[in-house]
Amino acid sequence: MADRESSIHPYIPKLVDQYERRRVDRREFLRTSTLLGLSAATAYGIVGRIDGSRFVPQARAQETPKKGGILRISIRVPDLSTPPTFSWVYDSISVRQCNDYLTRTGVDNITVPWLLEKWQASEDLKTWTLSLRKDIKWSNGQPLVADHVIWNLNHWLDPNTGSSVLGLFKGFLVEDRDTGTTDADGNPVMATGFWDANAIEKKDDFTIVLNGKSPQMAVPENLFHYPAAILWPEDNGKWGVGSPGTGAFDPEVIEVGKRVVFKPRADYWGDGPYLDELHFIDHGDDPSAQVAALASRQADGMYEASVTQYEVLKQMPHLELYQGVSAQTAVARVHPNKPFDDARVRKALRLAVDTEKLLQLAHLNIGAPGEHHHVAPVHPEYADIGLMKQDIEGAKKLLADAGYPDGIEAEISCKQDPAWELIAVQAMTEMWKQAGINVKINVMPSAAYWDNWTKVPFGFTAWTHRPLGVMVLGLAYRSGVPWNESHWSNPKFDELLSKAEGILDVEDRRQAMVPIEELMNEEGPAVIPLWRGMFTFWDKKVGGFQQHPTSYIFAEQLWVKEA
Amino acid sequence: MMSFVLRRLGQMAFTVIVASFLIFAVSEWTPGSAARKMLGPYALPEQVESLSRELGLDRPVLVRYVEWAGNVLQGDLGYSTLYKQPVAPVFADRLKNTAMLAAIAFAIIVPVSILFGIMAGMREGSLFDRGISVAAILCTSLPEFALGAFLSSIFVIWLGILPGTSTLQDSGGWSVASQLVLPVAVMVLYDAGYVIRMVRASMIEVMLAPYIRTAILKGMSFRQVITRHALRNALIAPFTVILLQINYLITGVVVVEAVFAYPGFGRMMLDAALNKDVALIEAGALVAVGIAVTTQVAGDIGYMLLNPRIRIA
Repeated sequence: MADRESSIHPYIPKLVDQYERRRVDRREFLRTSTLLGLSAATAYGIVGRIDGSRFVPQARAQETPKKGGILRISIRVPDLSTPPTFSWVYDSISVRQCNDYLTRTGVDNITVPWLLEKWQASEDLKTWTLSLRKDIKWSNGQPLVADHVIWNLNHWLDPNTGSSVLGLFKGFLVEDRDTGTTDADGNPVMATGFWDANAIEKKDDFTIVLNGKSPQMAVPENLFHYPAAILWPEDNGKWGVGSPGTGAFDPEVIEVGKRVVFKPRADYWGDGPYLDELHFIDHGDDPSAQVAALASRQADGMYEASVTQYEVLKQMPHLELYQGVSAQTAVARVHPNKPFDDARVRKALRLAVDTEKLLQLAHLNIGAPGEHHHVAPVHPEYADIGLMKQDIEGAKKLLADAGYPDGIEAEISCKQDPAWELIAVQAMTEMWKQAGINVKINVMPSAAYWDNWTKVPFGFTAWTHRPLGVMVLGLAYRSGVPWNESHWSNPKFDELLSKAEGILDVEDRRQAMVPIEELMNEEGPAVIPLWRGMFTFWDKKVGGFQQHPTSYIFAEQLWVKEA
Repeated sequence: MMSFVLRRLGQMAFTVIVASFLIFAVSEWTPGSAARKMLGPYALPEQVESLSRELGLDRPVLVRYVEWAGNVLQGDLGYSTLYKQPVAPVFADRLKNTAMLAAIAFAIIVPVSILFGIMAGMREGSLFDRGISVAAILCTSLPEFALGAFLSSIFVIWLGILPGTSTLQDSGGWSVASQLVLPVAVMVLYDAGYVIRMVRASMIEVMLAPYIRTAILKGMSFRQVITRHALRNALIAPFTVILLQINYLITGVVVVEAVFAYPGFGRMMLDAALNKDVALIEAGALVAVGIAVTTQVAGDIGYMLLNPRIRIA
């Protein structure tokens, strides 16, 4: 134990002190202390010691789960055969019942070790030591060891795999390198590879060290990226019936476009599972089919309800509404082309909209009014600099100052689904019109939009929830990164962001976010109408369900209240 | 006779070739690439490009078409990019489900429409005729999704005596048979109205024919006139119409299948189209065109057998 004490991250004692003096809240304490390598048990233990709350944080502690019963969940069943290349969150929900992740971001937006017992970050956040739990067995009886995890890490980070995990570790474990050759057009051919041969280092059978090139704060969060389920190496990145897993269920039947049937594992290492059987049923894209399935109790729950289903589902007495805050949103952003090359015009776009009204119109008031700096209240480092209020006169004046006294014309591209996005765009164009910004709407099929999302000069793009605010800003607004869809490039912003990313103290980081958020409000490329509250409806007989910010379903916690 | 059938088969083959090429071309020119659809929004452009190369989507559309057609002629329907498995098994399973739905609906539509059509047509303008006509027009003019939602809100949400979706799995205590009731009901209501009106119109025409008047004048009972003289003649024209319903019932039930989450051919084609799964769309189109042309040829031949004037001419 002595060496463990000594290897504790130097910031942790200060954090405990801050929590005792209530300078950070409970959520923030848990998030940061587990981030720095305290095991979840220890972190929740400290919370319990300080304010007497129970170790198990989840609300499910209220009722004792009962064993038995079958649950049917309405969710699309796409091809599930290659988890590392999953492109949608719902693809991963089947696999995650059977194969665990190294970490888990819970419904409270706190990331805790999962297959890991703990992690430790070096003070400079470049070296991360991952310690595996030693009591985990695959469903084929083999113990989980470091080699298995390393195989998965290598597989994700191999560019030939095509996994989006690669993007998250770029700059940290892998980098683009010039191969020295050029292609037909004379451009240098780049290859992605580990920055150092020792980037992933096996210490012993249960310890892996990640040696990063640059500091990375969000390693635990990134390890819960939805394609990052830990697979049995001999399956070579494939998954299906018969694939060994570490999770609570085994897949028994998989029929693409129809259903998945899961059987519980008797020897699961964690709590649960409580069900006799779990079924995922594909009801297609028609929202009314899902409603009908819930109405006739052919489904006991559903993945993400849409705004068009809300009213009718709310009327059904046997259903319960579950809501959760999230940072899911969509961003109306512009390229820095005329007239949007002028920061005043971009600010006018923001000043002309009323985010509180947009939340009402487009998202049934479920969620929170948007803030244009893309840091949401659910993010730990969110600094409340106040909502930007609608100011039509102010917007007109900015336009006039920028040389457009008669207003401007533009065209925004957006997708037609989910339904709220188009409603939000229509509402915003009406508001912009009042300020003399006449915007035509170009509705595209979703796939066509995603083909061009970084290329359209003015577009409305969905961004999913990410646990940390700096993660989103780094992905979407840093100069030159692949997902910088607005082509925004501001050295001041980059500098401020890098500074914030290196600050562990949340209080301090929140202070560092203030100038970033102000800069985004003043000069940024984005209009953010709302933060979506994610919601869904489940039968009241289901126990243990909670709405996750990313709508993940953890079925090992689910149970049936009456048979 | 033989040459007539051969000529129709030749036309059929030509139609299939043209249709299959048009589908290839259309999916080529609609926005969004198959690779992007497979990889999702977060894939990097290089990943999309490399998958396109892997799938061979970067080659000209004509080359891909010829290659695909060659494979089909050898019995290989290709590989579904959506289901990530060969097209044939996915396809057979879905087609079987839809054929079952179509068979049940057809078995109800035909006797019901002939019965009501004849009864309405034999006394044109009677109260019964008026009632049937109004009901038939009402049903056909309601779109399927509205009919589906209407029936669902009564029998599923209000009364709770039927299941709302038809996944063909024994779920929530609803038998597979009970799951078929609503989709079949929508198809029957939507389709029978049309066929009833066709039968009725044909019956009215026959009832005005001189030989009917002669039969009545020579003292036959009304019943005998209808069964001996009117019925057979009145069914000649609707016969073709009825056969054409097979077309609609198998390849036109996209909406019904989507509304009731029925795992059939129509929903599969919808998903395939939305995801640009060309191999699957093509296989579906081949079957659809095949069914269309076959029923048409069968209709023509049947018409010929029923109507001596055509046979002799």
